Amino acid sequence: MMKQYFDDMVAGIARKINDDPESRSPRKVYALEVARLGSRLYSGDGGVAWCGVTAPFDLLNAMGVTSCFVEFIGAMLAATGMADAYIDEAAHAGYAGDTCTYHRGVIGAMRMGLMPEPDFLIATSVPCTGGLAVMETIARHFKKDLFVLNVPQRETDESVKYLADQIRAMVSFVEDHTGRSLDQEKLQQAIDHTNEARALCEEAYFLARAVPSPADGRILSNFGVVMALLMGTSAGVEVARTYRDRFKEMVDSGQGGIADEKLRLLWIQNRIQFKNPLIDILEATFGASVVCEELNDITWDPIDPAAPFESMARRAISIPFNGDVNRRIAHLQKLAREYRIHGAINPCNWGCRQGTGARGLIAEGLKQIGVPVLNLEVDCIDSRNFALGQMQTRLEAFTEMLSG
Amino acid sequence: MTENDSPRIGFACAYTPLPLIRAAGFIPYRILPIGDWPDQAGQMLHDNLCPHVKRILDRAMADDLPDLAGMVFVNSCDAMRRMMDAWKQIRPKDKTVMIDLPATAEPLSIDFLAGEFRRLVEVLSQWSGYDILADRIKSSMEQYDLLASRLRNLHNMNQRGMLSGGSGRMQAIYNQAATQQVEALIADLDRLISELTAAQPMKEAVPVFMFGNILPDPAAFDLIESCGARVAGDDFCTGARLFGAYETQVAIKNDAEDVFHDLARRVLTRPPCARTFDPAAPMRIAEDVVDLALACNAKGVIGHTVKFCDPYLARVPVVREALTAAGLPFLMLEGDCTLRSMEQQRTRIEAFIEMLC
Ligand code: SF4
Ligand code: SF4
Repeated sequence: MMKQYFDDMVAGIARKINDDPESRSPRKVYALEVARLGSRLYSGDGGVAWCGVTAPFDLLNAMGVTSCFVEFIGAMLAATGMADAYIDEAAHAGYAGDTCTYHRGVIGAMRMGLMPEPDFLIATSVPCTGGLAVMETIARHFKKDLFVLNVPQRETDESVKYLADQIRAMVSFVEDHTGRSLDQEKLQQAIDHTNEARALCEEAYFLARAVPSPADGRILSNFGVVMALLMGTSAGVEVARTYRDRFKEMVDSGQGGIADEKLRLLWIQNRIQFKNPLIDILEATFGASVVCEELNDITWDPIDPAAPFESMARRAISIPFNGDVNRRIAHLQKLAREYRIHGAINPCNWGCRQGTGARGLIAEGLKQIGVPVLNLEVDCIDSRNFALGQMQTRLEAFTEMLSG
Repeated sequence: MTENDSPRIGFACAYTPLPLIRAAGFIPYRILPIGDWPDQAGQMLHDNLCPHVKRILDRAMADDLPDLAGMVFVNSCDAMRRMMDAWKQIRPKDKTVMIDLPATAEPLSIDFLAGEFRRLVEVLSQWSGYDILADRIKSSMEQYDLLASRLRNLHNMNQRGMLSGGSGRMQAIYNQAATQQVEALIADLDRLISELTAAQPMKEAVPVFMFGNILPDPAAFDLIESCGARVAGDDFCTGARLFGAYETQVAIKNDAEDVFHDLARRVLTRPPCARTFDPAAPMRIAEDVVDLALACNAKGVIGHTVKFCDPYLARVPVVREALTAAGLPFLMLEGDCTLRSMEQQRTRIEAFIEMLC
């Protein structure tokens, strides 16, 4: 079923682009590559690895492994309006309603046979405790080998060495499971692709800071976190280039992502993954555009070909969700200043201890630089708890306050 | 200043390396979430955050703490990280440090944790103002080994019905061990053990095994036993697990580096709570619970976790499956670190124990 879904999606987008090359928008190119990844995950051939969010996907791509973080499944189920049944299945199996629905969706999908069986798993201790637990559950369910990358909280020479050594051990683990050695040429090629995509993303983000911003509230949705999956590939470079080129055109011609940009918003952590009209309401009613998302940023240096594992280790450690909240607040403050943000929205995904746990401290930190935060009580995957009327009222009050 | 007046260092996680704190001349003081304070932490942290963390913060906000020379946090879970963030806001003058704790115990992680312990000792050295030498750490570890063996003795004596007050009293002793000066406590426990010579006649009671994370209130164990059960074995972060790293027969090495490695290995390989696991045996916690329950001849198992604890919530369904497969009835309780929440579940506990009879 899912294979068909992704295959149809690939065929549909490719046909549209083919029939009308003018319609080749960055979001279409991005969606095409995401659909291709989905199709590979469900194809059942070649090596598949379910991973944690901070796994070195470019390295895994270089090793010929189709790899993806498991939360992708949760988000995909929500986006296609199918999450409810899988969340309910997890509930029937005893998974408490207080945990993150990205993970409960994955558990339900696994139990109902919708999750492709991996060849092996690579868990990461960052961003969240729940993420490690779900990987352990999946490994047990499929009886597949599990490798754990413990991502340290702080960036020091010792911690980078610790994680780099684990990545080296991960390479041996993958080699053992695929029967293929890491090809140095392929690694070099992957590093080149990563560094090129990184530079293009950096340019695209820089352009998105323009006033008006070429970004609207949809074009960069989930972009940073998903781009990590395409790192090390020519497809990733192509996606990043398309964004950079389109944003450049728009900025050069003074064209904004929305018609009349009045307010510029920063979206904190998770997007609401199921279909909902909040972005439309913000844009159409209040002229408020989400021009930036927390993970849409480059927080790491280019991968050094002479020390790739150390660079990948630093990259994993640099994710803003890692470490103490002051580090995260400093990053959000930086984004708010760079993008000339008027206000921020934090959806506080129910069940996310990592993120929502700190919402009060984050709101306080942004308030210090004059950026008010609207905390929404929402589950980003389970649409059944979504109270549109209430959200609308709160958005209205928030944007009025920002405009005043 | 006598040793008993030593300044205290606060901690909140059972992975905290107590001997290092003691070697620095401090008394490790576990901030237990027992007591009744206004709920203030909710203003800083989301409703869905672990009540263990919130109750500790409530205690801090109500200023119900002894003088602390600093706080040692451990990165055991998301909630613990958020606790340190909040702590810095509410007690900005406190000295704080966080130890990074791997989730697995392979050699690279043991090396890393040894480095974290070395860093902790440097920090503690700055806080205390003097160098902490290897032989001091070694003798501190020996003290904790002694304490752990005394606690094991008492636990076994309790199982033989020799400790009046039963598991509630045993829990009160664990709480003392988590908050008092180790050397003085060993002397007290020796005295207690020498007095406990005769087995008391055992009450008719159903043996149950209990496991979970945070259950420090002795009255919670009294409550279980008042429902007709006998806690034949238990495995909690606020019980024996805090001392599990010191229940070893392995001699402590002399060299400082070896001591850090030894301690790191002990801490990471001690009987784990749900946040630490072996990737080679995913969800082995399920088999561990079954084994522990069978080893104490329990007729049933009661799990107790505080709400919103991701490490446990994610693993309890698999534990339930394993217990069912082993034919062991299972009752799962969730609490918020108050006795009130336990009392509310009394009828369920009574019904469960009746069913086991
Ligand atoms: S929302 Fe939070 S708990 Fe859920 S996967 Fe993301 S970081 Fe983890
Ligand atoms: S009870 Fe669970 S969530 Fe709370 S601090 Fe302990 S491990 Fe973390």
